[in-house]
Amino acid sequence: MNAITATAADIPETPTRGLWADAWRRVFRNRLALFMSLIVLLYVLVALFVAFGWLANDWDQSVGGSYEPPSTTNMLGTDIFGLSVLRKTLYGTKISMTVALVAALISLAIGVPLGAMAGYFRGIVDEIIVWIYSTLSSIPGLLLVMAFAFVLKDKSLFGQPLRGITVVYLALGLTSWVGICRLIRGEVIKHKQRDYVAAARAYGCPRWRIILLHLIPNVSHLILIDFSLRFVGFIHAEVILSFLGLGVKDEPSWGVMIDDARLELSRDVWWQMAAATAAIFVVSLALNIVSDALRDALDPKLRE
Amino acid sequence: MKTLHTIQLIIICLMGMHAGCGQEASPPSSSPEGLVVRYSTLSSKIRGLDPMDIGDTTSSAIGGNIFDCLYQYHYLKRPYQLIPNLAAAMPTVSEDSLTYTIPIRDDVVFFDDECFKATSGKGRGLTAADFIYAWKRIANIKNVSKNWWIFDGRIVGFDEFREYTKTIKDKADVDYSKPVEGLVALNDHLLQIKLKKPWPQLQFMLAHLPTAPVPHEAVNHYGEEILNHPVGTGPFILEDWKRGSKIILSRNPTFRDERYPSEGEPGDKEAGLLTDAGKRLPLIDRAEFLVIQEDQPRWLKFMAGDLDVAGIPKDSFDKVINTNRQLTPEMLAKGIILTKYQTPLTLWYGINMEDPILGTNLPLRRAMNLALNRKEYIKLFANDRAIPARGILPAMFGDFNPELVSPYINYDPQKAKQLLVEAQRIHGGPLPTITMTMGGTDSTARQIGQYLTRTYKAVGLNFQVEYMDWPTSQDKVKNKSAQIYAMGWYADYPDSENFLLLFYGPNGSPGPNNMNYKNAEFDELFEQMGTMPSSPERKALVQKMEQMVIEDLPCILTSHPIAFALHYNWALNRKPHVFGEGHLKYGNIDVERRHKAKTG
Amino acid sequence: MWNYVVRRLLYTPLIVIGVLLVTFLLFVVVQGDLSTEIAGRSASAETIAEIRAEYGWDKPLFINIEGMKQHGIEALFDSQFVKHFVDTVTFDFGRSRASKQRISELLWDGAGPSLCLTLPMFVGLLSTSLSIALIIAFARGTIWDTILVVICVLGMSLPSLAFILLGQYFLAYKLGWFPIFGYEPGWSGAKFLTLPVLIGIIAGLGSDVRFYRTVMLDEIRADYIRTAYAKGVSTRRVLFVHLLKNALIPVITSVVLAIPFLFLGSLLLERFFGIPGLGYMMIEAIGNRDFKVISAMTFIISVLFVFGNLATDICYALVDPRISLH
Repeated sequence: MNAITATAADIPETPTRGLWADAWRRVFRNRLALFMSLIVLLYVLVALFVAFGWLANDWDQSVGGSYEPPSTTNMLGTDIFGLSVLRKTLYGTKISMTVALVAALISLAIGVPLGAMAGYFRGIVDEIIVWIYSTLSSIPGLLLVMAFAFVLKDKSLFGQPLRGITVVYLALGLTSWVGICRLIRGEVIKHKQRDYVAAARAYGCPRWRIILLHLIPNVSHLILIDFSLRFVGFIHAEVILSFLGLGVKDEPSWGVMIDDARLELSRDVWWQMAAATAAIFVVSLALNIVSDALRDALDPKLRE
Repeated sequence: MKTLHTIQLIIICLMGMHAGCGQEASPPSSSPEGLVVRYSTLSSKIRGLDPMDIGDTTSSAIGGNIFDCLYQYHYLKRPYQLIPNLAAAMPTVSEDSLTYTIPIRDDVVFFDDECFKATSGKGRGLTAADFIYAWKRIANIKNVSKNWWIFDGRIVGFDEFREYTKTIKDKADVDYSKPVEGLVALNDHLLQIKLKKPWPQLQFMLAHLPTAPVPHEAVNHYGEEILNHPVGTGPFILEDWKRGSKIILSRNPTFRDERYPSEGEPGDKEAGLLTDAGKRLPLIDRAEFLVIQEDQPRWLKFMAGDLDVAGIPKDSFDKVINTNRQLTPEMLAKGIILTKYQTPLTLWYGINMEDPILGTNLPLRRAMNLALNRKEYIKLFANDRAIPARGILPAMFGDFNPELVSPYINYDPQKAKQLLVEAQRIHGGPLPTITMTMGGTDSTARQIGQYLTRTYKAVGLNFQVEYMDWPTSQDKVKNKSAQIYAMGWYADYPDSENFLLLFYGPNGSPGPNNMNYKNAEFDELFEQMGTMPSSPERKALVQKMEQMVIEDLPCILTSHPIAFALHYNWALNRKPHVFGEGHLKYGNIDVERRHKAKTG
Repeated sequence: MWNYVVRRLLYTPLIVIGVLLVTFLLFVVVQGDLSTEIAGRSASAETIAEIRAEYGWDKPLFINIEGMKQHGIEALFDSQFVKHFVDTVTFDFGRSRASKQRISELLWDGAGPSLCLTLPMFVGLLSTSLSIALIIAFARGTIWDTILVVICVLGMSLPSLAFILLGQYFLAYKLGWFPIFGYEPGWSGAKFLTLPVLIGIIAGLGSDVRFYRTVMLDEIRADYIRTAYAKGVSTRRVLFVHLLKNALIPVITSVVLAIPFLFLGSLLLERFFGIPGLGYMMIEAIGNRDFKVISAMTFIISVLFVFGNLATDICYALVDPRISLH
């Protein structure tokens, strides 16, 4: 996967080619990473198909008896109610993708602006933001997520009661923006000294414009890498929250399937655990390899 | 008092683990100096050992062996029969059934404990005043005891004492010597109780753990820490308590002379239950309880022979019990014995009768009962270890009516659909979604929720489940904002009154009638029955009341669980006993046989 | 530099106050009034009022203006937050609502077993995963690297519960190499802890190796490595001397900051192997809405974290004068 090594000096620097174009070229040259990107795409497609109701929307129809082992008719066997484990796994893709995507977006939506503001304005704004994230990072993460999930449960937001999946991604998103915020703040402090920012300032460019149009695009590769790593973390967090009873309830998710399956193991029903674990494994592996390739591709030290 | 978490209830009965049925384990052949030691397990942590606060089954299972009450249930005789324990004889009841005079044994002493400063640590003798003191602690509102319901409105002058404690600002200033007219120590060993109105169930209360005597010396000495320093009169003392991990009880050296019963019901002798007849109790020297909350380690420890007794985990059931409902040969070869027995437990889904949709719509409630396939439900969630409920009373009750038939408590989805049409007409439009409040968020709760949702969807009723933690769900039930919720009742004593009080109007939320069922006729009959001694007329009354409830259906009745308990053949004197606590003293261990089985 | 140390010191109380505010908002304001639940079956209006007074739920949240009007200025601070603040910083956590035990005692009793489990696990995990990560750094770019990453991700994806169930069944029950369940304090308890520690290490290896691999790879791209290679230093020496020395700084930072969280114990291992630690206590406390326990524990761990952070920062500042508050 690290086909592009640190000494890849053979890649000529083309002045016309920007950071991103160059990065994409590197990723495409890495065939493993390309294949893994396709797998991620496949997961996204499955999630979309489920969301549009074209796939697995009949997961709550029983297809056989209780706990039927995998067979030609039911490829991944059935669960306690005779529901198809395959359909549940597919449906769970939607849940996991939604949780991971929305939670990652929430954490970026909070972390990036706060980090950029803290880094750019410094002074009292910086002090307050640093105080908030230092406080949050001193509290054990799992506890904080559980507390948030607990607090958000059955409250309403914009007149909608918060339940199930909404609670999961809100709790994860609201508690996990600290890392990206800290990262962006550091980068913005560095970039602020650069000439292009000074130039923009000299032109009388408003501050929000500098942040939005100059600074953030220049740290966007960090955001992307953070996003891809975080995505995997959130998929795993959903599993833990389900185990703690704070997750999704009325729909099948991978976390719910694993939680149900833990008792089933002692009656030798392994297929539900195996299906959910395999689904998590493949998407984690794909995302890991893609984000590694992205990191390699975007690392300025490798671009010289 | 045992409105337990349903999930908890299911677990308790599946595991055969209610009070007094702890699981014993054997040490790896290391009993110190030939002492008979019994190792047991608990399924959850115990909360504290102050009788005043004991309410949960796990704490009772331990506390019942440390504290004694005035009366106890005979270990072997059935139907269950009360016999004196700390009392010297059964109470003398006055003509008007209002005054009870109870003689108290004069050979009972409290444990030796540092709190007895006057006797430099030697436990002093038990007196009638110790009971009155213990009960006043329950009445003292500053103590916020959950057990006040026992005495509420029953004893002359006692409610006034509770009123008095409300006026005192500091807990420490409550004067326990303030007299209560209905509670008098006529002398050191004669206790008199005066009731406001006849109350035949008093006898059962006097065998209920919270009414055990507590010495005032211990309360004054330990203060709030009393819950960790139980000073009782029972067969065992608390030797060590590693919170959340292990509890060790050891023989109380100053325990009075109590003997193993020498008569039981027919068949007991053949079953070897009278081998120890006449021997001094307790029969074992030590008992260790391990707290094991997960099924797998508990089961593996039992299979390894480290435990003498266990229940059967739901998911291992098929490996242990064959299709004839008997042990598999593999289990029999290990010397494991299966005991199946009924429990005084009924499970149902309560319907809040004050809910505007459900409370006024009888066809809807009937349809909901008809739509539930109890057989399948029991098969899926209890491995068939329950009888589908037809009424409220479990079959072990004397007032059980075998002819009781309700046209609504069976599975008939067609009829349910028809009734739903009528229900819609009464509602005046399409029925809104019915929401169930589920007090549990684990896998089992989720699967039950899913099952019920599917069940009601199948007959065309919109049904959803709200999951929350147990305390929150209880809040919702108590403030009447839940529509449907899981509920169960494990009887405190062998009297139908204990089940019927759940449907008595004045007991509405936050009382035990959390269905808020109100039926003037039922209430009148209940008041009439409550003061009647056991008789055929009373039985007829009980059956009439049960009929009324299953006509009105303020609940979706589900099942009466059956316990399946396993034990190795070296655990002796095991007889299922479902009322009262503190049966540890009767149990015995064949140490030699255990040793042979484990080493050979 | 002293300026930095002083500022850093002054900053610490602010974070502690922040933590207190968060725990208060989460566990006092939101948990609400539990008096009806505590009252139990005998609940009457009076009992409930009694409980409300006992727990202080009858007081306003932040400032008591009513109280000030009646009893003068000092009553202004007779509020739930001030009580929470004072109780917490004086380590007077009160009693658990569910078990009625003193919270400080519960925490004290649970910390030992939790650490007995997590400390060896942490040390084992750290040394194993660092060694593996270093080996990967050798094999960087080869097929072995890819295979190891696949194994790591597989380890991360398998639920830790599967490791526990299988380990307990095969290693303890079938093979009888370890006791199935139990705990004893002191050295005699080591036999009970071996299996859970082992399972903990195996279950945690995947994500840890991946983390340290990233750390190593970040370092391997640093200029000093290139300089070392350019000077003709052998690969082995580069890896074990230059790389390891420099990678130790981020590693040590993460180690120091991870230590406070060891007090949290391990929820599943504790529950399945009968270790009376803090991990399971927390989950139970959440289920019982016993928020005083959670808030006390959050506070203690957070304070340990804040001071651990402070200590490492000051040490770095003393060692490396270039570091400033930025």
